Amino acid sequence: MEQKKTKKHSLQIDLEKCVGCVLCMKACPIQAIRVRNGKAVIDDDRCVDCGECYRVCPHDAVRSQTTSFHDLKRFKYTVALPSPVLYTQFGREVSPNQILLALKKIGFDYVVDVAWICEKVNAAYRLYIEDHPTPMPMISTVCPAVVRLVAFLYPELADHIIPIDVPREVLARELRSKISRKKNVSEEEIGVIHITSCAAKIVSINNPIGLSKSALDGAIAINDIYGKILDVLDEVEDDEILQQSSGVGIGWAASGGEVRGIELHNCLAVSGVKDVIQILDELEAGKLKDIKYLEALVCPDGCIGGTQVVENRHVAKHRAESLVKMYGERSRVSLKVIKRQYREGYYTLPEGITCKPLPPLDIDPVKALQKRQRIEEIIPLLGGKECGACGAPNCKTLARDIVLGEAEMEDCVFIKLHTAEHK
Amino acid sequence: MPGKALFQKTFTIKKDDFANAGEASVQIKNILKDVGFDSSVIRRVAVASYEAEMNVVMYGGGGNVRLAVNPDNVMLVVEDKGPGIPDVDQAMQEGFSTATDEMREMGFGAGMGLPNIKRNSDDLKIITSPDSGTRLEICIRSSVSGTEEN
Ligand SMILES: Nc1ncnc2c1ncn2[C@@H]1O[C@H](COP(=O)(O)OP(=O)(O)OP(=O)(O)O)[C@@H](O)[C@H]1O
Ligand code: SF4
Ligand SMILES: [Mg+2]
Repeated sequence: MEQKKTKKHSLQIDLEKCVGCVLCMKACPIQAIRVRNGKAVIDDDRCVDCGECYRVCPHDAVRSQTTSFHDLKRFKYTVALPSPVLYTQFGREVSPNQILLALKKIGFDYVVDVAWICEKVNAAYRLYIEDHPTPMPMISTVCPAVVRLVAFLYPELADHIIPIDVPREVLARELRSKISRKKNVSEEEIGVIHITSCAAKIVSINNPIGLSKSALDGAIAINDIYGKILDVLDEVEDDEILQQSSGVGIGWAASGGEVRGIELHNCLAVSGVKDVIQILDELEAGKLKDIKYLEALVCPDGCIGGTQVVENRHVAKHRAESLVKMYGERSRVSLKVIKRQYREGYYTLPEGITCKPLPPLDIDPVKALQKRQRIEEIIPLLGGKECGACGAPNCKTLARDIVLGEAEMEDCVFIKLHTAEHK
Repeated sequence: MPGKALFQKTFTIKKDDFANAGEASVQIKNILKDVGFDSSVIRRVAVASYEAEMNVVMYGGGGNVRLAVNPDNVMLVVEDKGPGIPDVDQAMQEGFSTATDEMREMGFGAGMGLPNIKRNSDDLKIITSPDSGTRLEICIRSSVSGTEEN
């Protein structure tokens, strides 16, 4: 299998389409974007792939690099692992089973109901937390953007990340060797593909944290594959049962799903990137110590609010809720099997979370403090309008860039104007 | 307050401003991250400044935090002009709280704030009186080890 050249991030600026407005730069919750020479530039070391820039761009200039359906041709045998979000994207009349069968019809050789594994992972979370009463709360690994937020910006909280891997990786690890044996194809010839609600999953595959290599070969966006599924839905005959999940696993599509399935008291679900950041700040301040498990998803209302979905997220949420009711809130997974697998490390995140905290202003602490003081001195000299015309998202960030030598005082349009008037 | 810290900044804390409460401690924490302090130091400062800030919001009627940072220590002077703490020894006990029902509903009032400040600081001085309000001088050194995080 030819290793494709991979970018560090899934979100990239299309320089032809970018008009250099300030919208994405202003929307970035962690100030990772600048406008330089009339184009938006994303700081690769800072970006957590939350997708806020993608949502806000009116020019379609933020691209999300997902796997194309075409790419599947390079595999002899293909496996689809669809996010439970996929079940919420079609009308009432379409069952999860029909959607899984449709995936087969459009060409996947093997399709697995990931929602079912979500239920098992949910039980593994519970077992881990019962074994490890501290630290509290443990934070979910489900959203790659959250794991990156912690690794880059909240390294103090790294030991709160639950060392249990996400359902798609757990499943992919198992399936590759199993299928290779059963179907007599080499492991490299098998393409295990996630069907994803977001761009962040791509990054977690190309640049994983907590495992040296992802077990997945790519991720196709829900909005890319939606039409294909729709085309064949009519022809699908409900003659095979692929769905094993109850409402518990399907419920993972929306915020609150993991908390529903974990069956422990005092768990908290938070969604939306600003709220997630606020909660992480509270954790760092020592609050929320009574919470056992924190489900944190950067998209509004959870993965149904992902960047690569089709359905309006409120409609999808409603759909998820009806599916949960329809398939019941009692999981049918075997706790006995899960306990054995858990002990054998089947669910364990292969490696610890390696933090990449952002570099300080200077490696010499004295200089770093002086630079930090200098930032405070520069801020009141700037225009103070927070306009972004300088190419930085706000005045404070420009001051920072100036001190780091990445921008100049004259980049502030008000300073430039003032200098021009007094010439 | 020691004379010339390499970095100094004052933050204002407003009375009963629960919506923005905790803002100063987030900013303080981000400053220390910019400077590259050890994560354990950052966490101790984050806890201590947050608890002190909340007490000023809830009991002190507003006030300010003065931050002074040197490579080997972080000083926080937290001041308010409120009613003062009548019995400091009692207030320092875990679980002692005079929080109102309203505060408790918002998750405060466990009586853990001052004990947590004490636990996370290397030096804590409390100067308080009914006339002049309350002043906390918190010192957290960055080289010491073995101080418990909480
Ligand atoms: N700045 C202050 N001014 C006046 N009284 C204060 C001040 N700070 C603390 N106190 C008093 O000391 C008590 C104990 O404070 P402490 O921070 O330990 O607990 P708490 O604020 O009541 O609860 P928690 O901090 O756990 O939410 C408070 O209930 C209050 O009566
Ligand atoms: S919340 Fe879900 S859809 Fe959004 S970035 Fe995280 S994992 Fe992706
Ligand atoms: Mg308190």
